Amino acid sequence: MRSRTINVKNPTGLHARPASDFTAAAAKYSSSITLKRAGTEDEYNAKSIVMLLALGLEPGEEAVLTADGPDEAEAVEALTSLVDSFDE
Amino acid sequence: MKLFGTPVSRGIVAGEVMRYAPFRAEPSASRIDESDVGTNLELYDRAVDMARLELEDLRARLAPRVPDEAKILAFHVEILSDPVIDEEVRGMVRTGLMSGDAAVAAAFDKYSDLLGRSKRVLMRERASDLRDVKNRVLRCWAGEKEKNLSSLDRPVIVVCDDLYPSDTLSIDRGGVLGIIAQTGGSTSHAAIIARGYEIPAVLGVSGCMGCLKDGDMVVLDAERGEVVMAPLGAERAAYEARAVRVEAEMRGVRRWRGAEPITRDGRRIWVGMNIAGVSDRELEHAPSSDGSGLFRTEFVFMGRAGVPGEDEQYRIYRRALEAFGGKPVTLRTVDIGGDKRLERFGLPKEENPFLGLRGLRLCFARPEPFGAQVRAALRASAHGDLRIMLPMVGSLEEIARARAFIEEQGELLDARGVEWNRGVKIGIMIEIPSIALIADLVAPKVDFASIGTNDLCQYLNAADRLNPSVESCYQEYHPAMFRVIGDVARAFASHGRELGICGEMGGDPLVIPALIGLGVEKFSMGAASMAPVKRAIRGLDMASAAELAGEARELGTAAEARECLSAFAARSSPDA
Repeated sequence: MRSRTINVKNPTGLHARPASDFTAAAAKYSSSITLKRAGTEDEYNAKSIVMLLALGLEPGEEAVLTADGPDEAEAVEALTSLVDSFDE
Repeated sequence: MKLFGTPVSRGIVAGEVMRYAPFRAEPSASRIDESDVGTNLELYDRAVDMARLELEDLRARLAPRVPDEAKILAFHVEILSDPVIDEEVRGMVRTGLMSGDAAVAAAFDKYSDLLGRSKRVLMRERASDLRDVKNRVLRCWAGEKEKNLSSLDRPVIVVCDDLYPSDTLSIDRGGVLGIIAQTGGSTSHAAIIARGYEIPAVLGVSGCMGCLKDGDMVVLDAERGEVVMAPLGAERAAYEARAVRVEAEMRGVRRWRGAEPITRDGRRIWVGMNIAGVSDRELEHAPSSDGSGLFRTEFVFMGRAGVPGEDEQYRIYRRALEAFGGKPVTLRTVDIGGDKRLERFGLPKEENPFLGLRGLRLCFARPEPFGAQVRAALRASAHGDLRIMLPMVGSLEEIARARAFIEEQGELLDARGVEWNRGVKIGIMIEIPSIALIADLVAPKVDFASIGTNDLCQYLNAADRLNPSVESCYQEYHPAMFRVIGDVARAFASHGRELGICGEMGGDPLVIPALIGLGVEKFSMGAASMAPVKRAIRGLDMASAAELAGEARELGTAAEARECLSAFAARSSPDA
């Protein structure tokens, strides 16, 4: 299992297009992938657009990204840089 | 066999029946046997596949024309593939032994409730997307095709309970020969849509949904208010002969569409057109009008998946100004609520929606979309004579608050360095009795006003205009209407402020002479009413109109008023 803290920097937060891109990217990995808001315990399935919207990460928020499975290292790497790229 | 109802839009047509009713899912509540789990999962997969195919097909067709709409459909495809909802459905079938359709309903409801509870408007809007997708999957489960009036493979007579406001935009004008509705009177949505598109219609035909089937041949006689089932031989021939006569008579009236609306004694009356969008069809008759006295902008928001943003609205409003070529366009800010529901505004369920959060009240409660609309309107105001009109105003405080709100939006545009017309005229709808009765105090606070007779009538008479059981209480010709309209007209005239009428009465050629006599000289109406209204205007002179108005104020009942108005119309034909 691997985890990393991500920062939501883009002005819309993790909704709409960015959320769709994120779940589409997460769905490519066979590992289970979750997100939880920093400082909380509830884990959200990151392959689910509905759960990601329910989590509703706002700009400036931190979240913990966790992957568990055969391709966990690549998943964490790729998804972290994806979230960073939303900023641009 | 014949059925009877209220004729609301002229003409006689014969054709094939198409029943039009929204799909209502009725998932089975009973538990399934363990042995049926496999079948239910298969049926679920099949329904999801069918829904996905529909969405992708629809998206491919919409993408070139309405890219925003297509994006929403792409989002619906994502929802269909959501692993969490999918697992939930399968779990409910496998371990809860629910039937597949009941599981779909329960799982989607669970997650749309979750999003619906969100504090953010955007998230709440997404809840309605989940409901859309749920309905689509359930319809596919039931093996029903998507039904709407936008693309018909052959011309039909539509038989329905009522039409919906969203049908206004999507109706296939060439494909709908006639409309028969079970409910509704002359001011229901079906009536307004039918008159707007000059489609013969008979409403309030009780029992029509019960006895007319798809494919039945009927004659719809909207002159007499009759629906005749499968007429044969001589009876059919007689209808056809009358249909030809009526058509010729209607053509005669239509000749007046391009006429100048001027009374016998030379008074020029302003005849504008009500619009609900900027399609070519909607704007076809703009050149015959003096402008638009009512752009019902809520229709820009309805019948589509997403709320249009500021830029898109700006383009729409600008297009309307261009179509009217320098003539005024009065943009009424969104009038949602009451009977006009819009899922995306996350309206609360109310006991009494017509007395609830609607019109301007709702705009104040949803400042984000209202602000975007006002900014779009202000930006468009730089390109022509655009006016902003506020619906459902009940007090001076609301006028002050709305003006301040509009001012703030203007400042936001200034901060962005965007151009707008600082002199843009701001007016109100007069439809709540409390504002009508203080018209003398209101007039100095606004640039103009327009009387919305549909709502004014229903609030004055305390009769829901869509409720057939109180149809006889909803009286547009009630003496109270003439008195209130006359008093408002006098107050506005004494302050030198413009006053118009844009409800159904504003397009009613029978009552126009009395309204002119009461002092109203601006009318805005559905495109189809312009010809008969101009004809009525050209048949009258100001002195006899004033006399007629005086009589209408004093007559005790609506029936007497109707008689008096009919007698006036009969002796005031311009054809002579």
